[in-house]
Amino acid sequence: MTDSTMTTRQKVEASMKRRRSAETRFRVYGMASVLFGVLCLVVLFGNIFGKGTSAFTQTVLTTELTIDAAELGVTSASTEQELRNADYEGLIKDHFKAAYEPKGRKERRDLYKLISVGAAWQLQEMVIENPSLVGQTLQVNLIMDDDVDQWFKHEYGNDSGSIRLSEKQLEWLNSWAESGDLHTRFNTTFFMNGDSREPELAGIRGAITGTFLTLLVTFLLSFPIGVAAAIYLEEFAPKNRLTEIVEININNLAAVPSITFGLLGLAIFINMFGVARSTPLVGGLVLTLMTLPTIIISGRAAIKAVPPSIREAALGLGASKMQTVFHHVLPLALPGMLTGTIIGMAQALGETAPLLMIGMIAFVVDVPGFINDPSTVLPVQIFLWSDSPERAFTERTSGAIMVLLGFLIIMNTAAVMLRRRLERRW
Amino acid sequence: MAIIENHKTVGNPLCDSAKLSARDVCVYYGEKKAIHDVSLDIGKNEVIALIGPSGCGKSTFLRCLNRMNDTIDICSVTGQILLDGDNIYDSKVDVVPLRATVGMVFQKPNPFPKSIYDNIAYGPRIHGLASSRVDLDEIVEKSLQRAGLWSEVKDRLHSPGTGLSGGQQQRLCIARTIAVDPEVILMDEPCSALDPIATAKIEELIDELRDNYTIAIVTHSMQQAARVSQRTAYFHLGQLIEVNSTDKVFTTPQHQLTEAYITGRFG
Amino acid sequence: MEMNFNQHISGQFNADLEGIRNHMMSMGGLVERQVANAIEAICNGDTRLADEVIRREDDVDKAEVTIDNECTQILVRRQPAASDLRMVLAVSRVVRDLERIGDEASKIAIHTLEVTDSKAPQYCQQAIRYMGEEVVKMISGALDAFARHDVDGAVEVVRTDKSVDKQYASALRELITYMMEDPRSIGQAISILWILRAIERIGDHARNISEQVIYLVSGTDVRHSSLTEIEETTQK
Repeated sequence: MTDSTMTTRQKVEASMKRRRSAETRFRVYGMASVLFGVLCLVVLFGNIFGKGTSAFTQTVLTTELTIDAAELGVTSASTEQELRNADYEGLIKDHFKAAYEPKGRKERRDLYKLISVGAAWQLQEMVIENPSLVGQTLQVNLIMDDDVDQWFKHEYGNDSGSIRLSEKQLEWLNSWAESGDLHTRFNTTFFMNGDSREPELAGIRGAITGTFLTLLVTFLLSFPIGVAAAIYLEEFAPKNRLTEIVEININNLAAVPSITFGLLGLAIFINMFGVARSTPLVGGLVLTLMTLPTIIISGRAAIKAVPPSIREAALGLGASKMQTVFHHVLPLALPGMLTGTIIGMAQALGETAPLLMIGMIAFVVDVPGFINDPSTVLPVQIFLWSDSPERAFTERTSGAIMVLLGFLIIMNTAAVMLRRRLERRW
Repeated sequence: MAIIENHKTVGNPLCDSAKLSARDVCVYYGEKKAIHDVSLDIGKNEVIALIGPSGCGKSTFLRCLNRMNDTIDICSVTGQILLDGDNIYDSKVDVVPLRATVGMVFQKPNPFPKSIYDNIAYGPRIHGLASSRVDLDEIVEKSLQRAGLWSEVKDRLHSPGTGLSGGQQQRLCIARTIAVDPEVILMDEPCSALDPIATAKIEELIDELRDNYTIAIVTHSMQQAARVSQRTAYFHLGQLIEVNSTDKVFTTPQHQLTEAYITGRFG
Repeated sequence: MEMNFNQHISGQFNADLEGIRNHMMSMGGLVERQVANAIEAICNGDTRLADEVIRREDDVDKAEVTIDNECTQILVRRQPAASDLRMVLAVSRVVRDLERIGDEASKIAIHTLEVTDSKAPQYCQQAIRYMGEEVVKMISGALDAFARHDVDGAVEVVRTDKSVDKQYASALRELITYMMEDPRSIGQAISILWILRAIERIGDHARNISEQVIYLVSGTDVRHSSLTEIEETTQK
């Protein structure tokens, strides 16, 4: 092949076939791996979306209900306390007993079970909000039990029975469904309620608020500390053994398993300083520890990326070190630092492990009002629900994952947009 | 070629009306000696060109003159550099006022990513040279006029300085340096990134600035050194080989190395 | 690392400089021959040789233009400095002097034709022969000094020019006496005068060439200086 009579061109042409096939092969490998990734993503998203979208609707029964003043023992002039203490559950039960005349205790219980316990609270809230409703007959959409909800969303219409519902219950349900009284609507409960043992009443508002408060604490702590540390290490720290050790440790910290930070938080913040457990405050502190290395490393990279010529220009004019950093280096490095911070925050947003260690796994029904109220966060909420046996929690798990993904996408988009906006060319 | 041991600078390294005088200046990067016992005067209102092959120490020497080398940790300087008779390496001297007096223009045009106005106004602002907005406007206009840039940018003072052409950016940097009203301007290959027309404009500017400032310019272009300077200093491997009037250096250099370098026999 | 300071980094630059120097030398050789032939023509009354000299004058002119052009090219392309610059400038000036010498040689040849046509007696034969030999030696001496960067040789040429000038002056006086004795010989004498004048000019041009050698080597411009001044500068 390579005899000396061949010209370079001939030799090159002879090798072309081999080179081209190598190129094609490489392209195929590349495409295959991209395809694999996309496929995984599609399966994952398909799975989550397939399961999760139904979490955003809720089954309700439209029915005419008289808010009987005598039965409740209140009038429209009653105080809020009296209105609150009235027996709405009894009212609903009586209404259904009168309407469907169940025979015997078992049937009665079956009938009552179709309605969620939340329906009574629903009525209670309506009345407290508007006491003039007392004595009126009105159309209400009563929240149904999670078993009904699941049956109506998934099994209604395809003739299969249900293990969790009796013949009689199905009879009632089918009649309601045929009359159109049983229907689905947008699930405001999912967004407006905190956690609950009853799947149809469980919502993510507590978790979202908790997440927001935790991230707020994390941001307020980690951004200033991280930026300050990055500036000091990059611009002011003398280059000696000590700073080298600090540097290596920061880089190592970024690779430490996050649960370790949870242990650290437990040991230091809760046991040593007595910060209340399960609160956004302690969660934020722990996540700060976790995101700091990311922010410092990205901050230092952003500072390093500022061209030395800008520094020289400022120093050459007689600006002091401090002025050079704060007037020129920092503004130019800020977009990079913010991007790093947002990415760190996004990482913190999805973090579960360290929070488990500091008690944020607790079952918290109330929506936290401030950073020292017990609360949970979205990923932990997802973790909790995924562990629950009720079928209705499965769809809520996926629904919560979708919300979390939505937040992540929003944060990453914000990072990209912020970068585009603030970035200045030099 | 071997380092010439204990070379004594030929020509006239000293002059009568010295603005800056270096005496026995040695510069070390860690253990490595980068500049060997350089003694050189830079006269008032003269343009002195520092030439020499790459790595000869001319830029290092230039950066000693306003202590820009301080920013490099491992760099140390011995000997004396006198500005109007005062040693700038004295422990009492603060680099901030020194650098305001001895300004510097760099190889690559490096305007701040701010408006043209803010670029010029930055120096006067940090040094508190303007008492009012009107004062500052005046400084900006005067500096731009001196740098020959006023007519080109007066309608877009608030557009970014980085949007100018390379040559305009470099003149902006010169204007920025002038705005602080220094006494000496150091230029480190100011035209190496510019096209010939822009270079010619800068050279013209240097010629005009000579009336008010003392200028030291490092250049790789021997033609440029010949065009803009009154005296030329030739550096070779950290030693100052020869200093003479520019016309003498370029027609009849005294030292064999100078001759070899400027005629293109090495370098 | 060892470096050869005689060589430029650019080999083509070396070749270019070498080129103008060699062309100048061969032009110098041609001019030297022209002068020698012209002198021989006048001394021997050889009209054929005189014709030859006049014919070859063209070659000298062409050589001047060519070399001058080469010098311009080097100036434009290489921006020479220091010794290179002096070399180019010196070559350019020397070539001009050589061309003038060529002109003078052809002038001698033209007058030779006039003088030999007339049957009148030839004056100052001795002086012409002697001065002629002197200036030919001066030309070759100056060119040698140029080739060898030899300042002493150049100064020697300047010295010789001094003695040629003296001989010219005495030959002039001799001619005047002839003219006073016999006014009919004035026409002839004027032709001889032109020839002597041409030889003397050749000496001056040879001196100019030597001055360029001093400029080339030491960088000092010694044009329009006296011999003592030149000796002083070259002694340093």
